[in-house]
Amino acid sequence: MKGSAVGRLIWKDWQMGRVPILITMVWGAAALCIVPWGSQSAIVTGGVLFFIPLILMAHMLPLVGIGNERKNKNLAFLMSLPISSIQYTTSKLISSLLIFLIPWVTLVSAAVLLVEIRGVVPRGSIPVLMILAFMPVIGFCLITGACLVGESEGWGIAANVFCSSTYGLTWYFMTQTPALMANVTSPRVVWSSTSVTVLATEVSASVLLLGLTYFLQSRKRDFT
Amino acid sequence: MSDLAIELRGVGKNYRYFTLNNIDLKVPEGQIMGLIGPNGAGKSTTIRILLGLVHQDSGEVRVLGHRMPAEQIAAKWDVGFASEDMRLYDAMTLGWHMGFMQRIYPNWDAVYAQVLLKRFGLRADQRIKGISHGQRVKATMLLVLARKPKLLVLDEPTTGLDPVARHEILRELTAVMADEGRSILFSSHNTHDVEQISDQITFIDRGHIIDSMDKEVYLDRWRRLRLEVPHGVELPVLPGIIGVQQNGRLAIATANAYVPDLANAYESRGARVQRIETMTLEEIFVANVEHSREGVEA
Repeated sequence: MKGSAVGRLIWKDWQMGRVPILITMVWGAAALCIVPWGSQSAIVTGGVLFFIPLILMAHMLPLVGIGNERKNKNLAFLMSLPISSIQYTTSKLISSLLIFLIPWVTLVSAAVLLVEIRGVVPRGSIPVLMILAFMPVIGFCLITGACLVGESEGWGIAANVFCSSTYGLTWYFMTQTPALMANVTSPRVVWSSTSVTVLATEVSASVLLLGLTYFLQSRKRDFT
Repeated sequence: MSDLAIELRGVGKNYRYFTLNNIDLKVPEGQIMGLIGPNGAGKSTTIRILLGLVHQDSGEVRVLGHRMPAEQIAAKWDVGFASEDMRLYDAMTLGWHMGFMQRIYPNWDAVYAQVLLKRFGLRADQRIKGISHGQRVKATMLLVLARKPKLLVLDEPTTGLDPVARHEILRELTAVMADEGRSILFSSHNTHDVEQISDQITFIDRGHIIDSMDKEVYLDRWRRLRLEVPHGVELPVLPGIIGVQQNGRLAIATANAYVPDLANAYESRGARVQRIETMTLEEIFVANVEHSREGVEA
């Protein structure tokens, strides 16, 4: 019986993405293990090391999974299968999101739990942690869109460089925003309207970027 | 269901520096069509339109009775496509690729796949990264053939292969055609390969189809006449002669619609026909392209 080949493409990407997922999880978990040591340097080191695999995954996954597939001419092989270009886009968005979000959700949940349970870091830092954790999600959506729509390695690299440069700047502005930082040392979680607005903006931006990618792909007449 | 595997009617596609013009192409079921053209002639664009990867600006495309690109998914279940610039996943083994295809295609013939594996001298457990170009092409052909497609679309599949590997691929393609319901569109600029296996030939150049007919008719209609032209004799312009190259007393006339009367016509005007030669497909191709370009430039 002829089923949908889209499921098989997702399964194929999942098979290829298992190793990066594992590496990200192990790296992130190891970073979180440093935090409970309790000293400021341990918290900062653990925190920074925690974000590195999330950012790496967000940036490398689309570049490797989508960009390299085109560069290495695997795309011609995939498009010989009974799928349309929009089905290819759908499969790529689903599989990439799946491969990225599994370690992301796991590690971010683990980090929140660590803050909640161990109490080494004040609970008031959770909103900032969530805002920071969502930045690689936006980066992932932007780079994925650039790789799919741009159809060239250059667009993917440009999006990658843009996101990498923006993280530091955003973190700086966050620390300079009293409304976000006021409750960081609080023993309880305080969701200020500013925190909620920033987080909602991040989520909206991510959804918008993915929607825009899908829209632009669906309007393409040539898929080469 | 139409009895045409491929039908293109008035297909056009405009790019900034290239235009595919009014392409009409018919491949009946059970036939092998060779699509010959120089680099940049429009072969790959035509094939991409056939597969629904590029949407035509004008005209109609049907593949196995399905309208393209609207019904490309339905059509592609029965189309096996391989191209020179298609690559498998380097990090994966051929066996992994076979498993991947088997899960997609219900018609996948595992026994035939094993036969091809042996016949092509391939190993299922070998990573694609470690195998030669020839083996990669054979691996791709295995994946295409074992899914038992009704139509094979092959874009320069033998480019860069050594003669033995080319022979193995062409032999397998010929064997595939034992099933009369199958059809092949075989694009290449290697006329030797096309001549070996094709029933019909289409020449394409600069986005135009310049000729399309049965291979045997081509080979039968094209002739080269070597003439001796005495001083004072002027060669007549004859229908069916597309070009005459004269060097002193010797001339070569190329006919694209040869009939014995042509030789008689030259003789009656005082020229002597030294020899009438058949032409290879490559010679026909070159003469055809040059004639077509002269016509466009004139």
